[in-house]
Amino acid sequence: MSDPILQLERVTRDFYDGKIQRRVLQATDLALYPGELTILAGPSGSGKTTLLTIMGLVLKPSEGDIFVAGERVTDFPENKLASVRRARYGFVFQLAELLPALSVVENVIVAAGIQGSMVPASVRARARELLESFGLSDCLGLKPLQLSGGQKQRVAIARALINDPSIILCDEPTSALDAESSAIVLDTLKQISKDPHRALLMVTHDPRVFPYADRLLKIENGRIIFDSRHSVSQEVA
Amino acid sequence: MRSLVALRILLHDRATTLGTLIGVIAIVFLVGQQLAVLFGLFTFMSVLVDHSGADLWICSKNTTNVNSAGLIPERYVERVTGLPEVAWAEPLLFGNATFVTTQGTNESVQVVGLRLPRAAAGPWRFAQGSGVGLLDYDGVTLDRLDLRMFGNPEPERLYEISNVRVKVSAITQSIKGFAGRLVFTNLVKAREILKTPPGRCRAVLVKLADGADRGAAIVKLKSLFPAAEVIAASDLSAATRIYYVKNTGMGGSFGFSTVVGALVGIIIITLTMYTAVLQRQKDFAVLRALGARKTDILIIVLSQSLMIGVAGIFVGFLLLSLFLRATLDSPLPSYMPAGAAPVLALGTLLLCVLGSVLAMRKAVSIEPASVFR
Repeated sequence: MSDPILQLERVTRDFYDGKIQRRVLQATDLALYPGELTILAGPSGSGKTTLLTIMGLVLKPSEGDIFVAGERVTDFPENKLASVRRARYGFVFQLAELLPALSVVENVIVAAGIQGSMVPASVRARARELLESFGLSDCLGLKPLQLSGGQKQRVAIARALINDPSIILCDEPTSALDAESSAIVLDTLKQISKDPHRALLMVTHDPRVFPYADRLLKIENGRIIFDSRHSVSQEVA
Repeated sequence: MRSLVALRILLHDRATTLGTLIGVIAIVFLVGQQLAVLFGLFTFMSVLVDHSGADLWICSKNTTNVNSAGLIPERYVERVTGLPEVAWAEPLLFGNATFVTTQGTNESVQVVGLRLPRAAAGPWRFAQGSGVGLLDYDGVTLDRLDLRMFGNPEPERLYEISNVRVKVSAITQSIKGFAGRLVFTNLVKAREILKTPPGRCRAVLVKLADGADRGAAIVKLKSLFPAAEVIAASDLSAATRIYYVKNTGMGGSFGFSTVVGALVGIIIITLTMYTAVLQRQKDFAVLRALGARKTDILIIVLSQSLMIGVAGIFVGFLLLSLFLRATLDSPLPSYMPAGAAPVLALGTLLLCVLGSVLAMRKAVSIEPASVFR
């Protein structure tokens, strides 16, 4: 078995409702491995988005440690975490979340140049290649408002890939799409996940997506209750 | 890329961009217009000194501004003229009088009497006729801008100033004074109008010879005329302006208007920039999630502020130049010295940055986690 790209050790997260402490994520151990498409499923309020944001380094855990490619990043300052996100992560959000002011191709390269460095021609070329490979060659100069939901999500996937990340986190990427667009997006993500240097985790509550998974995680009440990597007997009732 | 994002957002959110732009234009135009009027009044205050062509002015003791100069002996002119460091010296007489208009009403004027043919501090811009007309014993000049006020008097016709007969011999072009409408005439006629005793004048204008040391000349003239004030023309000009700014409440009034103009602008900028950031909260959260640091977000908002600032300054100065052009030949004082424009531009940019501080604070406080559902 290869080394995990992302690892959580005894990670918890508490929120405060006034003075009342509420633990939304119980002590969680989790590792993501390259070449796998992992699906994290659970009902609303189960803690899957909290877990996703902690894995994405946009939310600090209350306790526990996070390792990215073997490096402990738990106590990294905010700016350093941002740099880790830019270098190693790709995100696909529920509603694509493209910047309406930017063109399609600019939306893709923004993920590469947002820290101020010049965007080299090679990155622009890669952005075009990615968009063309996703069937968006006619949309490069369009604004997001001119695209369909499925097209927007494919642009978001191209954006997630522009920095060649080792971790891709997807937050219910098909929930706002029709069946046909969902299938295209899921096929694309499945294809991407086959890269032996990349792990892909998708949060969903849609069981129709499960067949795409190499690994299935189920979460309830802030606790992972099922991990298909382990035997079925380990499922927590 | 950050600048491109900043520009694209500005172009996309046209309404808020336009609002902020109006704020910047308001600052440049309102403050610039106030300053132009103030500088215009400055030029009025010291117009005689600034156009005298003299290096030094000899006035009565304790003269605080040119218009407060008392009478001094005219014989100073002869004593000064003989000095080796002096190129020429001329007497000057000025004072307030009343012009009787063609309708029979009275209008206050400031009569300036000068010795011919040099006519130092004399009229320097003519709409009709020339300074030669002042050789006529009754000859006076009126200004084109004052003609309507005087009932449109005609050249070469006789009129009356303070019960003294005068003839309009030339029309000057937009020569405006602070202490009254300027009427130039020869020294003899001025003395008659102003009822000045013979052998007295208000000032002696001194032009130094080439290479003469101004400081040394002032010391020498002070020792020669201990009962008089010897002042460099530039110092008298500045003292006159300071006197009026301090003693007429003009400084406070213009300062207040300028601050109000700047405040109006900065409030508009603050509100519109803040609204723009609120509208784009989600975009900033996405950028943060994608790896933008707080500094990157700060630079985006700051870039927007500077871009709008530069565009607003351009448009504001365009409007200001139209205002200056429109008032060039009008009774309204307006003048913008070359050095004031860059200061105004830099000040406006600074106000733009100040106005966007609240927006910047809001933008960097947006949590990237908010983009996840």
